[in-house]
Amino acid sequence: MSDRALQDIVLRALADGPFRASREWQQRALADPVRVERFARFLARHFYHERIVHFFKYSRALARVTGRRPEAVLRSPAFDALFPTMVLGGRNTARAVAGLVAGDVVHGAAAARVPYLKELLRYESAMMIAEAGPRVWRDDEPPGPDDGAPETVEGTALLELAYDLPAILPQLLGPWADVPQAPARPITLLVARSRHGRVTVALADSVVARVVELADGRRTPEQLARAAGLGPGELEAALAGLSELGAVRFATGS
Amino acid sequence: MALMVGAFYNPHLGAELAVASGIDHLAMADPPAAHDPHWPAIRERYTLLLHDYLGQLSEPLDERSIQRARSLAELYRTPWVAEHFQCLHTEDGRYSINYVFPPLYTEEFLQRFVANASALQARLDQPLVMENIPGFFDVKASQMPEPAWLARFFDATGAGFLLDLPHVWLEAHYRGVAAEQWLAEFPLERVVELHVAGVEEDADLRGPWIAPTAPSDDMLAFLALAVRRCPGAKAVTFDAFSPSLTADVLFTSVARIREAL
Repeated sequence: MSDRALQDIVLRALADGPFRASREWQQRALADPVRVERFARFLARHFYHERIVHFFKYSRALARVTGRRPEAVLRSPAFDALFPTMVLGGRNTARAVAGLVAGDVVHGAAAARVPYLKELLRYESAMMIAEAGPRVWRDDEPPGPDDGAPETVEGTALLELAYDLPAILPQLLGPWADVPQAPARPITLLVARSRHGRVTVALADSVVARVVELADGRRTPEQLARAAGLGPGELEAALAGLSELGAVRFATGS
Repeated sequence: MALMVGAFYNPHLGAELAVASGIDHLAMADPPAAHDPHWPAIRERYTLLLHDYLGQLSEPLDERSIQRARSLAELYRTPWVAEHFQCLHTEDGRYSINYVFPPLYTEEFLQRFVANASALQARLDQPLVMENIPGFFDVKASQMPEPAWLARFFDATGAGFLLDLPHVWLEAHYRGVAAEQWLAEFPLERVVELHVAGVEEDADLRGPWIAPTAPSDDMLAFLALAVRRCPGAKAVTFDAFSPSLTADVLFTSVARIREAL
């Protein structure tokens, strides 16, 4: 085994709780297990602090009304209870941590003053969950070919909201005296992630929504167009946009 | 030549930094935000140092990353480009700890870092300096002590050394040796820049760790000792970059660093 591969094992042990508990890791006896566990917990709190502060910045801006700062869950017993199963950057862990944040913030006594708070937390959670997963770190790794069956990328989400949140998000981060109120107007948002881990949110029309729901990696573009009720030009335009955002890739398997 | 004394550019303190005195340079951990109103004044006023932009030199850098680093170096007019001795994500991109972490100190990693740093140096118009990263635990696969590995890297590449003193102090602490004794092992003749900052108790580590806080008197005394042993040092930087950093801590720390020197 190369030293680079050995380094990867150490990195995995720091990032992956179940692996840290496995015989595969422990039998290697590469490092003091007590120190490894302490450092892994330190890293986990740092890792999710960065993500919570970033993805939950709008509900953080509402903390003076809700009385709840999203990052407070990082010091809770519920967060500590996740350590044995936690995988830094894993989608299940992102879902669990986002769930803790949403559950804590929404229970604030002043939450009634923010009628869209639950929807806002769904929106922020969707972004944090979408961001999770393996990523390409280099810019010179070419994307796959774009002539296979279109497939919605894991983590891509369509979010149906009863409030038009994008209309007020910038206001939440600015100075305000009265809580900015979101228009009660149903919208659908697409949350997607690029190969490099960049999360994008875009308004989704019915064409985009149908393509995302139907692109399963088995239907050919022609079959997908028929199923979605789209013309070839419409489908091509939708797929180009979705591929650019990272929401759709083109399957090449058998 | 007088040592420059500076800090990191913290954008939330941009208004204060834009009119501050007593700060010779600012290290740039992130590119300036597109709508940072203070950036033009900051660029005009300070010597700017490009810091840790590229990631990990355990792998070759791709062309776009090098081009972005070159354009930032030009934008900043940086006198040198700083990177970390770090390897924090797996080759397949599946795991990343999102925090500085040192490589194994082995022959293989030495060759990787030498080759990739040499390739980077060939593409930069400024000298490359590399910063030491602390280990909270030793990995038994390492083949040599960190200071010996660093000395061989600097001999092979001619790169400069960005000596992070709290990192040395922390390693000494966790090894149970005197900080001055551990410092003496490092190739101090290669040092171009020093970092100094505070440390605080961390509940998870059950011991001290890097924090965006003021350096203690002991840390400043350690800095004064280190600077005396680094004949080529050109700059000392207060190494704190965090939204929680206050203007008072930044300006007071820089002033105390200057006094300690």
